[in-house]
This record gives sequence, C-alpha cells and structure tokens, in this order.
Amino acid sequence: MPLQFDSAYNKRKRALQQAMFACFRVLSYSIVLVLFIILGFILVKGVSVINWNFLTQAPTDGMTKGGIWPAIVGTFYLMVGSAVFAFPVGVVSGIYMSEYAPKGKLVAFIRTMTNNLAGIPSIVFGLFGMAFFVNYLDFGDSILAGSLTLGLLALPIVIRTTEEAFRDIPSSYREGSLALGATKTQTIWHVLLPMAMPRVITGLILSLGRVSGETAPILFTCAAYFLPKLPDSIFDQCMALPYHLYVVATSGTDIDAQMPIAYGTAFVLIVIVLLMNLVANAIRKHFEKKLKQK
Amino acid sequence: MVKFVENELISIKKEIHDMWTLVYEQLDNAYKSLLGPDVALAELVAAREKRVNAFELKIDSDIEDFIALYNPVAVDLRFALAMLKINNNLERIGDYADSIARFVIRTEFKPEDRELFEQLKLSQMYETALAMLKTTFESLEQQDIAQAKSVFEFDETLDSINDQAISVLVDYATRHPESVRLCIELAGVFRKLERTGDHINNLAEETIFYIDAEVLKHRRTAAPAQPEA
Amino acid sequence: MNKIEAKNVDFYYGTFHALKGINITIPNNEVVAFIGPSGCGKSTFLRLFNRMNDLIPGARLTGQVLIDGQDIYEKGVDVDVLRRGVGMVFQRPNPFPKSIFENVAYGLRVNGIKDKDFIRQRVEEALTSAALWNEVKDKLKESAYALSGGQQQRLCIARAMAVQPSVLLMDEPASALDPISTAKIEELICELSSQTTIVIVTHSMQQAARVSNKTAFFYLGEMVEYGETKKIFTNPEKEATQNYITGRFG
Repeated sequence: MPLQFDSAYNKRKRALQQAMFACFRVLSYSIVLVLFIILGFILVKGVSVINWNFLTQAPTDGMTKGGIWPAIVGTFYLMVGSAVFAFPVGVVSGIYMSEYAPKGKLVAFIRTMTNNLAGIPSIVFGLFGMAFFVNYLDFGDSILAGSLTLGLLALPIVIRTTEEAFRDIPSSYREGSLALGATKTQTIWHVLLPMAMPRVITGLILSLGRVSGETAPILFTCAAYFLPKLPDSIFDQCMALPYHLYVVATSGTDIDAQMPIAYGTAFVLIVIVLLMNLVANAIRKHFEKKLKQK
Repeated sequence: MVKFVENELISIKKEIHDMWTLVYEQLDNAYKSLLGPDVALAELVAAREKRVNAFELKIDSDIEDFIALYNPVAVDLRFALAMLKINNNLERIGDYADSIARFVIRTEFKPEDRELFEQLKLSQMYETALAMLKTTFESLEQQDIAQAKSVFEFDETLDSINDQAISVLVDYATRHPESVRLCIELAGVFRKLERTGDHINNLAEETIFYIDAEVLKHRRTAAPAQPEA
Repeated sequence: MNKIEAKNVDFYYGTFHALKGINITIPNNEVVAFIGPSGCGKSTFLRLFNRMNDLIPGARLTGQVLIDGQDIYEKGVDVDVLRRGVGMVFQRPNPFPKSIFENVAYGLRVNGIKDKDFIRQRVEEALTSAALWNEVKDKLKESAYALSGGQQQRLCIARAMAVQPSVLLMDEPASALDPISTAKIEELICELSSQTTIVIVTHSMQQAARVSNKTAFFYLGEMVEYGETKKIFTNPEKEATQNYITGRFG
C-alpha cells in the first residue's frame, strides 16, 4: 500500500495534536505571565519611593516617610543567624541519614518526620519559638530567638537537600575511596562533601530565601514594630522587611502616604529573594560545570 | 591490544622461520647423504624427523591458541591461516627428506651407481628443489611477491626431469636386472622430489596469499596434475 | 606461592545464595580473568577479596578467603589495611572531584603520609606506570574531569597503584570505554602484571583471552571451570564453558 500522507484521519490526528500543544503552551506561558503581573504590579506601585534615601535611612514621621534601612539590616541578620544554625545542624543530620544511619525503618521514620516538620504552618513555629527560645531559654524577643526559630523552619529543607545530594552520589565514588584504604569519615570529608557541596549550598540559599520572607515566626520572637537604631547584639530586637511590610500596610494612620512605602518594601524584599535564587542557581551551575567537565 | 598481537605474530613468525630452516637442513642433508653415500648423516636426518613432527604440532597448537585468544582479522587472519598451511607443507617435505634418508640407510650403493645418478640428472633435480625451497623462504622473509611467483617455473623443470628419469630407470633396469630394486627405489626418490616441488609451490602460494591476499591456488590453470605420493 | 586462596566460599545476600562452594588459588603476579553471564556471581566473588561486600546489609560469608596465607575475614583484620594492599578499579571511571595530582595522592594522604617529596615522587611513578604521565605532566593541577573517559580510567588505575597494592582487582575496567582506550587498558594490565597479581572481571571473552594467564568461568553462583586461559579457550573441560565461550548461551 502506498504511503498516504494526506488521509482525512491523519489530518484530524495532526489537528488534534496541534490543539493540545497550543493548550499546553498557553497554560505554561500563563504561569510566567502571572509572575510578571505580580512583579509589574509591585514595581509600578512601589518604584516611585525607591531611592538612595529609602534604602539607607530609618523610617520617620510614624512610618509615613523615611526609609527601610533597619528592616533590610534586620532581615540580613536574621538570614545569617538562621544560616549559622540551620547549616551545620542540617548538613550533619543529612549526612547522618544518608551515610551512617542503618537503612531501614528508622531512617524512613526520620525522613517522614522531617517532611512533616516542613509542613507545619510557620505561625506554629513562631508560637514554639516564643514558648521555647523567648520564654523558656529566656532569650527574650531577640535576633537570637528569631534566628533559631527561622533556622528551625529552614532545617527540613537543608536536611532534605543534603541527604538527597549525598544519596545521589554514585556509590562507586564511596567505594573508590574506601578501596584505597580510606575510612568512612575520610571518604565523607574528602570526597563526598566536595561533591555534594553545590547542592547543599543551593538548598541552603533557597531555604534562606524562603525564611527571609517569613513573617509569622518572627512575629512573636524578634521583630520590632519600630526601632530608630540598628541592633547592637544578638539579644536585641530588630526590624525585618516582611514584618515591616505587614505593619506599614495594616496599622498605619496615613494610608495614602504609607501604601507606596509598603509597595517599595515589597519590591525590595522580592528583589532580595530573587537575587538569592539567582545566586543559588549560579553557584549550582558553576559547580556542576566544574564537576561535569568532560 | 596491538602490542599483544604483534608479539604473538613475531613469535609465530620466528617458529615458522626455525621450522623452515630445520626442514631445509633435513632435505639438504638427505641429499648429501645420498651423494656420499653417508649413512651417518642419513641416520642424523632420520633421527631429526621426530623433531620436525614435534615442531609441527607445537606450531599448530600455537596458531590455534593465537586464533582462539586474539581473534585475528584481515592481514593477521591471513597470516595465521597461511602459516598454518605452510607449517603442514613443511612437515610433508620433512617426511620426504626422512624417507630419502631411510633409503640411503638401507641401500648398499655400488661405485657404478654414480653414473646412473648422472644419467638421471639427480643433482639437477635435487638442487632445483633446494633452490625453490630457499627462494620461497626468502620471498616470505622479504615479503617479495615476484620472487615467490618465480618459484612456479622451477616446478616444470622438476616435472620434466622426473618424466625423463622414469624412462632412464626402465631402460637401466632392463639392462641390469640385478638392480631392479634400486631402480624402483630411485623412482620413488624422484617422485618424492617432484612432490616436494608441489609442496613448495603450496608454500609459495600461501606466502603470496598472506602478502597480497591473492588466492592463486585454483587460478593457475597450467598446474600439472598432482600424482599421489 | 599462592597470592589469593578461597576455600569453600559460600556467600549470601539475605536469603539469596550468591556463591556456592567456591575453591580457587590465584598464584602471585598472574592475571586471572573471571568470566560468565550477568548475575553469575563473578563480581560478587571479586569484591570478597577487598571486603567491598561488607558494605552490603544482610551479606553473609562462610568459608575462608586467604591473602598471603592470612584469612582476611578473621576478627581483628583491619579493613583499611587490607584495602591498601588490595587495590580496586571500577567499571566506570570514578575520579574524585579534585586535581589530577590530588586524585593520585589521595590514597597516600588518607593513609597518613605527609612527606611532600615522597608523595610527589610516588604520584609520578604511579602515573608513569599507568602510562598517563606524558599526557598529564603539564596539567597536574587541572581537574581530573578535564580528562577523557579512557584517561580517567587510567588515572583511577594510577590512583590504585600509588599505594603499591600487591593485588589489583578490576571490575569490568574497560566496559565503559571506546576500543582504543580499551586497548590501552589491556596493554596496561599486561605491564602491571609484572608487579601485581591482577584479578579482572570482564564481560568480554576476547578481553579475558587477550590479557589473562588463567580464566575462571562462573555460572549461577558456581565456578564451573578454572584453568589456563589457552586451555579454556581452545579445549574447555566442561560443556557449559564451551557453550558460553562459543556464544551458544549467556
């Protein structure tokens, strides 16, 4: 039978396929569109207040004027603080789960619990932070208490990415090292950790990007409504961008003056988170290139 | 991989070289013992026949190992096949040298037999065969196809001397009935030398096959019908 | 002197009986090839010699594995020391994410050697013995991943040779490489066999034929036949061996 390229059946089939693809295409593009709409909305509304003073000065006149500098600094402190806590604890737990813990029910249980931890609403973390760090350990409302609470929030992500990063290393690298007479610890330290590092770092940065936008956990543990000066120690309260945004947007007296500031704050926050995601991406790409060079 | 194969090729080549040298010596010594006559030399040839046979088996098994272990292809495969056949042909030539030597051992020659040898052109026959064997050997060593092909012409010389020798022997036996046995035995020697020539032709053909992948075996229409040994 | 000796070795993964009553003696400085269809236990058996199977949960061994007359599964045997003396090269090149130099130096460093001159000298020797020195001597500081697959595998051989093992185990060392790299590895095996006992697992019968002095044929967890490679490939004793090497099954 000769080839028939133009039978009615084939035409119908091709038309259906094209319709399906068009549908998929529209749906995927619309996601990007939504992102751009949000960004554009924030940008249009908030860009008018962005200037050098806005970024480098404290709020004045009951938050109707001035800048957001203390909030930027506070967010930075909280991110560094939570990283200092979450990184070592998370990486060590991740390594333990991937490399040391006997495979079986225990690890499966820990993994489930870790995932559950990630699923707990962030306001619950805030409540726990207040009860445990602020009151029980008596840190008071402080950067320390806020960092630890945010660190707890970041922990599941760090643990999971670390564990996955280690588990995805082909066992031949472990065996290659052990076969040379290296101990397990030497193998982890000299071979596996360098290989897993890009993914671990990426996971950490992504989790920090996430915690930097959290309001609830710092609500009861750290964030200050307004501070005229920067914090002096980790036992001081601090301002933070998301909380500042919340405060400016909800409890103001002069809505017309404050809304642009709220949008400006939101814009800065989004830029910080996006920047961190970009940095995470760049780091991953950089290391991947280094590792996969062939 | 190339290195292993190369080493094996060199060692097989060396063995064929040694085998060839040994068989040439056997044929040459058998000739000398016949001319002598030199029974001691003939006994040496007969004794060495075992060595030729053992050597043939060793080379056969080495080539078998080479094919089994290294799966040669193209020129290497032709080499292995050619050497295998060269090996077998050399062994047959060794057999003929051995039977000529045994003929020398069991025969008591009389001085007048020398004249008969002259009439039969024994020296020419024998030296032609030896020269063919040597030329073929050199053509293999030097990978010289022209030289290998030159061997085929000598074969006709052998055939014609052999044909003439039969007539001479019939004539001689009629005149000297007491020498009939000698004549029959000498006819056998000539036939063996003629067969040796055929085997040397095979050596030359295999040499050419190896060097040029040219299968001449069935193409040479002028090839004489080969009598059974 | 026998380098490796296995006596009545049975090996189990959980309830799976992976190796059944294996006895073998491997003489010093020989190249021994293990052949057989996938899942026949040849790799498992190889990995007993440096206790790589210790890593597998539920694995159990009965019988003895002796190296230089010492039972390596006896209590008190230090696995790290054993593995320093019994090197291993794997199926896929697995260089560490380090420089070429550091890859080769790794085995020395993890074994506590600090003398820089000594390390440098040993790295050069190892790379030379793996026929890689001339190709990499000007880029020792570069990442090992910049090398081609075949070079990476030779780097892994150099890495194993740097600690001067007396036994080198090779688990299908050329199965991920192109023919030219394979040829180089095979040549290397022949050269290294003057200083080490080499046990190589291979799927390629031609490779076993080319590189080994002795060949063992494994089938369904049993060692069917073990003998001179020439004998195995020209006139095997067992019909199963014959069928396998002639490609009639497996």
